[in-house]
Amino acid sequence: MGKIEWAMWANEQALAAGLIYATGGIVGVAGQFRGWQFAAFGIAAGVFVCLLEYPRSKRGKGTSVERTGQYCFTVCVKAFGPLTRNYYVRAFLHAALCVPGGFMLATVLGCVCLGIASLIYLSAAIHGEHWEPILPRTEPTKRVGDSIKEPPQNPPPRPPPELRRKKADKLETAAYDNPMSVTVNE
Amino acid sequence: MSVALKSWRANEGPKHLIVTVWVAVNVCLFWRTFMLYFSGAQYYYLHKMLGLGLCISRASASVLNLNCSLVLLPMCRSLLTFIRGSQRVTGRCVRRLLDKSKTFHVACGVTICIFSVVHVSAHLVNMVSFSVRYSEDFPALNVAQYRGQDPRILIISTVPGVTGVLLVLVLFLMFTASSYCIRVSNYEIFWYTHNLFIVFYIILMVHVAGGALKYQSNVEAHPPGCTHSNLSSWTNHKAAGEKGAEFAGAPQTVCQEEARFQPHFPQTWLWVSAPLCLYCAERLYRFIRSSAAPVTVVSVVSHPCDVVELRMLKSGFKPRPGQYILLNCPSVSSFENHPFTLTTCPTVKNETFGIHLRVLGDWTSSFSQLLLQKPNSSEILPMMQQRRYPTVHVDGPFGSPSEEVFNYEVSLCVAGGIGVTPFACVLQALLDLQSFYWFADLLCGLHERLWRDNRPDYLNVQLYLSNTQRLQSIGEERYRFLSSRLRIGRPKWKLLFQEIGRANQLKRVGVFCCGPKGISKALHTLCNSNPHTGTAFEYNKESFS
Repeated sequence: MGKIEWAMWANEQALAAGLIYATGGIVGVAGQFRGWQFAAFGIAAGVFVCLLEYPRSKRGKGTSVERTGQYCFTVCVKAFGPLTRNYYVRAFLHAALCVPGGFMLATVLGCVCLGIASLIYLSAAIHGEHWEPILPRTEPTKRVGDSIKEPPQNPPPRPPPELRRKKADKLETAAYDNPMSVTVNE
Repeated sequence: MSVALKSWRANEGPKHLIVTVWVAVNVCLFWRTFMLYFSGAQYYYLHKMLGLGLCISRASASVLNLNCSLVLLPMCRSLLTFIRGSQRVTGRCVRRLLDKSKTFHVACGVTICIFSVVHVSAHLVNMVSFSVRYSEDFPALNVAQYRGQDPRILIISTVPGVTGVLLVLVLFLMFTASSYCIRVSNYEIFWYTHNLFIVFYIILMVHVAGGALKYQSNVEAHPPGCTHSNLSSWTNHKAAGEKGAEFAGAPQTVCQEEARFQPHFPQTWLWVSAPLCLYCAERLYRFIRSSAAPVTVVSVVSHPCDVVELRMLKSGFKPRPGQYILLNCPSVSSFENHPFTLTTCPTVKNETFGIHLRVLGDWTSSFSQLLLQKPNSSEILPMMQQRRYPTVHVDGPFGSPSEEVFNYEVSLCVAGGIGVTPFACVLQALLDLQSFYWFADLLCGLHERLWRDNRPDYLNVQLYLSNTQRLQSIGEERYRFLSSRLRIGRPKWKLLFQEIGRANQLKRVGVFCCGPKGISKALHTLCNSNPHTGTAFEYNKESFS
C-alpha cells in the first residue's frame, strides 16, 4: 500500500553486506585459507561498497535523516554524476562484485547478502527511483518579524501618532521628542 | 550538572538493574558452556578434532538460545497490558519497567545478531577442521565424508549447514529493515520482514535437530585417552604421548569398549517453545478479539489543520485513560495496523470512544478520504441519509506510560504537536463533557468546572508557541483561559522545573512526555539532575515507533 522507497532498504542492506563481505575477507586472509586471494578481493570490494553506500539518498517526500559525517562522502559520490545516481548501475555493480565471494568459504555469506541487496536495488531502479544527495540548505537570514513595529519614539505617556509626527513643527510637543532615535536599523 | 540521587534512582535504577542481571546471565551461560566443551570428558575427542571453534560455537549457541526465547516476551502486548492493569499485584516500579519493553526487545535482537556472527564464524572454522582433521579412529564423529573434503560441500549437504545459511539470510533481512530510518519512512517493509520471525523459528527448530555434534555416551567404560588393545602400537604411542595431567592416575588404562557417540537432544526446543507458543497464542487472541465484536463508526468530525476525530462503538470494549488502540481498515490496506491513542474513553453517559488522527501519510489520507467523502448525491433520500463508513477493526486496548498520571500526587504533562492525544483522554476522565471543538474546548471546559468546584489550582496550563509564522490570535472570549496563558517562544525547562521543585518539596512528581525527541531528551536529563534533591521527578515517555 502506498509508495515504498525500496532504495532506502537496499541501502541499509548493501551497507551491512559490505561489512559482512569485508569481515569474511579479513578472516580468510588472516587464516591464509585456500583461495585467500578471493578473500583479499572481498576486503577491497566490501570497503568500496561501504564507502559508496554510506551517504543516504534524499527521500522522495518527507524528512531525510543523514548518517553522521556523511557530507564528505556525499560530495565524493555526487562527483560521479549519472554513474552513482542511477540504481541500475548500482544493481549490476553489486551483482558483479559479489560473484568472486562465492568461491571462498569465508566470503560466501557476504556474497549472498550483497546479491540480495543488488536485487532490491534492481527493484528500486524499476520503480524509477534515483539517488539524490542531501546537501545543507542555506537558511534565509532571520529578519525581525513583521508584527514588531517600530518601537515607540516617545516615553510613556505617549501622545497619539498624529501629534508624534508633527514633532518638528510644534514647540509644545517638543517635550515628547526623543533626543536619540530608537529604531533598530539605525 | 549534579545528579539528583532520588530522581536518578527512580528513573534509571530499575532499568540498569535489569540490564545488569541480563548481561550477567548471558556471561554466565557463555562461560559455563564454554568450560563444559573445553574440559568435559564426554567432549574430549570432539574437542581434539575441532579445537577452540567447538567451544566458541556452542557457547554462543547457548546465549542465542536464551535471547531467542527472551526476545519474544516483551512483544506480548496484551499480556503486558494485563500486568500493567492489575495494580494491586504489581508495584509502580514494575509498571514503569514495562514501558521499556520495546528497548529490551531491541537489546535482545541486537545480541542475537552479534552472537549469530560469532556462531557462524566459529562454525565455519569447524567446517574446515572437520575436513582437515578427518578422524579415522572415530568415524562416528565425522561430518565430512573423507579427508580434505571441500568445506562448502559440507555446508550445503548437511541439514544444519543449509538451515544455518537460511537462518542467516532471514536474520539479515529482518535486521536491515529494522533501522530507525526505515521504520519512520516505510513502516511496511519493517512490518512484513519482521513477521518472517515465524519462518526463522521454524527453521531454527530444524537447524538444531541436525545432530552434527556428538557427545561420548560411555565415558565410564571408555575413559578418554585410554589405550585400545586393538589399535596399532603407533596409535597407542601417540595416545600415550598425548596424555595430560588429568589422566595422571591412569596412564595405561585399557579401554573396555569402543567409544560410542550420540547426538544431543536439541536443547533449543526446550528454550524456545514456551515463549513461541505464548506469543502465537497472544496474536491469535488479538486477532479473535478484534474480529469478533464489530466496530461501528458513530461520527466523523473534521478539525482544522488536518485533524480528523473519529467516534466509534464496540461492545465489551473497556479501555482506561491513556491507552492506545491499533486500527485496521481493510478497504485501505488489509495488513496494516496503525496505533492511535484514545482521546475519549467510554463513560456511563456515553459509550463511544474516540481517537483524533492527523492526516500525514498515505494510509491516513486514504482513510480520512473514505471517512469524509460525501455520499453520492443521486442516492440521497431526504428521510434516510445513511452514511456508508468503511469497516474498521480495532485491536487493543494496549497500555502506555500515560496511564500512571493519576497515581502521582503531582503530574507534569508535556506534549508536542499531536502528542496532546494521550493527555486528552486523561483530562477527559476529569471532566465528563462532550468536547466537540477539540483540545482548546476541553481545557477551557475543564477549567470552568474546576473553578465552579473551587479548585482552580488543580490544573496549571502553559501554552507555548514556538513557530510564529502562522500566528493566529485566540480572540474568542470563551478561550480567555488559554489566550492569557499563551507565550511566544520555547519553554525554559530549567526554570519550570525549579519552580515546580520549589513548590512541591519532598513529593514525587511524574513527568509525562509525548513529543519530539529533542524535548524528551531535554526533559529526561533535567529529571535526573534537578537541583531540588528533595523532589523526585520520575520520567515517563510515550513513543510509538
